[in-house]
Amino acid sequence: MAEATMKIRARMEGADVADVKVLMQHPMETGQRKDEKGNLVPLHFITNVSATHNGKVVMEAEWSQAVARNPFLGFKVKGAKAGDKIGITWIDNKGEKSTVETTIAGS
Amino acid sequence: MRIMKVAVAFVATVLAVAAGGASAAEGMKAGGAKAPVPLDLGPSAAPVPWQRYKVDSQGSSWPQTDWKEYSNSRASVTPEASPPPKFTAPLVGDVDRGRQLAYDRGRGGSCVVCHIFDKTTPSQPGNVGPNLSQIGAGRTEEWLFNYVWDPRIYNKNSIMPPWGAHRVYNAAEVRDIVAFLKTLQAPYEPADKVENPATRPAPVDNRDNLDPTENPGMFALDAGKALFAKAGPNGKSCASCHAAPEKAFKTWAATMPKWEPRLKKVLGIEEFITRHARATTGGEYLMQSDANIALSIYLRNLANGAAIKVDARSPEARAAIRRANELMLRKVGQLNMACVDCHTKERHANKWVRGQYLVEFKGTVAHFPTWRTSRGDIWDIRKRFQWCNVSVRANELPPDAPEYGDIELALAVLNQGEKLNVPGIRH
Repeated sequence: MAEATMKIRARMEGADVADVKVLMQHPMETGQRKDEKGNLVPLHFITNVSATHNGKVVMEAEWSQAVARNPFLGFKVKGAKAGDKIGITWIDNKGEKSTVETTIAGS
Repeated sequence: MRIMKVAVAFVATVLAVAAGGASAAEGMKAGGAKAPVPLDLGPSAAPVPWQRYKVDSQGSSWPQTDWKEYSNSRASVTPEASPPPKFTAPLVGDVDRGRQLAYDRGRGGSCVVCHIFDKTTPSQPGNVGPNLSQIGAGRTEEWLFNYVWDPRIYNKNSIMPPWGAHRVYNAAEVRDIVAFLKTLQAPYEPADKVENPATRPAPVDNRDNLDPTENPGMFALDAGKALFAKAGPNGKSCASCHAAPEKAFKTWAATMPKWEPRLKKVLGIEEFITRHARATTGGEYLMQSDANIALSIYLRNLANGAAIKVDARSPEARAAIRRANELMLRKVGQLNMACVDCHTKERHANKWVRGQYLVEFKGTVAHFPTWRTSRGDIWDIRKRFQWCNVSVRANELPPDAPEYGDIELALAVLNQGEKLNVPGIRH
């Protein structure tokens, strides 16, 4: 899959907590795997993920090649309300980058 | 009305000519009222020669053994049961080694796949075969030796592989296994409800397969939609002819697979995509490529909710289903198993092979292509067939094999009325 994409869903869960779910499309190559011809597939993984709430960074994460292909990320944001914006950005070890933004839906 | 008919026939002829390919015109039936869909009738829609997968995207490997001395869905070559080596008393065998062989996943896949033994039984035994905790009290050494060597000697239709006759274990190893079996004298079954296959609850898959944050197969849906609109080498895209796909393909996928007279085989959506694209946009989407699966998911997803309604009545469809029924009864592979052995409730469906649950044919097709969480990949139905074959140690066929077409149609018939729900997500 050449194109890197993300799927995101954010939904209010209670009075001021938003539940966010993100599925990222990424090969997350460990550098250990061999292809059909027996050659090692080069290391290719997401190194940094950040989440924003209305533009303000609320979470930053450093990832490693130990995270599986097509990573799933789930977290909760306190102090959120329906209509707020949630943004996710990842950067991988090749410098490739992907960003997605969504609006929090009511519960 | 008569004038109408002539007009329709005329339009059909024009369409066939406009489509340009001699291939399209060839299939015209004399006096036919409908232009056949343009299809490339040339080279195979799958890589030639077909080579078995070595690894999948997660690095899990496919076994590479060539099992050509055993039957598969093409060749019926498995030798008949022959007399076992003469059993000579007293039995010489090593109990510990026998137990080790019975529990070893590396050889036969382990006897625990189907049987419970004594309290040393490893976790999550299966129940396709009988509980053997008292077998040592009930059977003679010779009977056990012969049965493990080749159960067909006593029971022609047994699902158990002929371990000795098919050279998974040699005679000395079978004697070791028999020595272990003779120690099994007292009733045993796992006390834990989940450990005991008789009471283990059947798995329920209640994931929302259309939730894009849940099912990575949904990425392929986007990719398929984009491909549909992308111009091929001829400058045309799928959308050039099919401007309103949501409307045009509302039920189409539920009517496939279908007998294709020009190719003289049952055509599934995946091969259809390859051949139709070659004849129209010039795109090359080999079966089981990412692009082919993405388009297949897109076209099936458009028909989500539509009940499967394939042609099962035409003489050609009936003949295909007849062939498929024979194939599904055929014992294949080194493990000598038929589709019906595992997937009909008259035999062993709804039982456990170790921690895996054997399902019936119904409910197995409406979600394909499906994301396999255990493989980290999307599989179309033909790849699933290939994996079934390899799992019983039979050589798989290329994905465009006519035999797989027959089986796909027969399965669709058994699933008539089931609603499409694509892309699926399964273990």
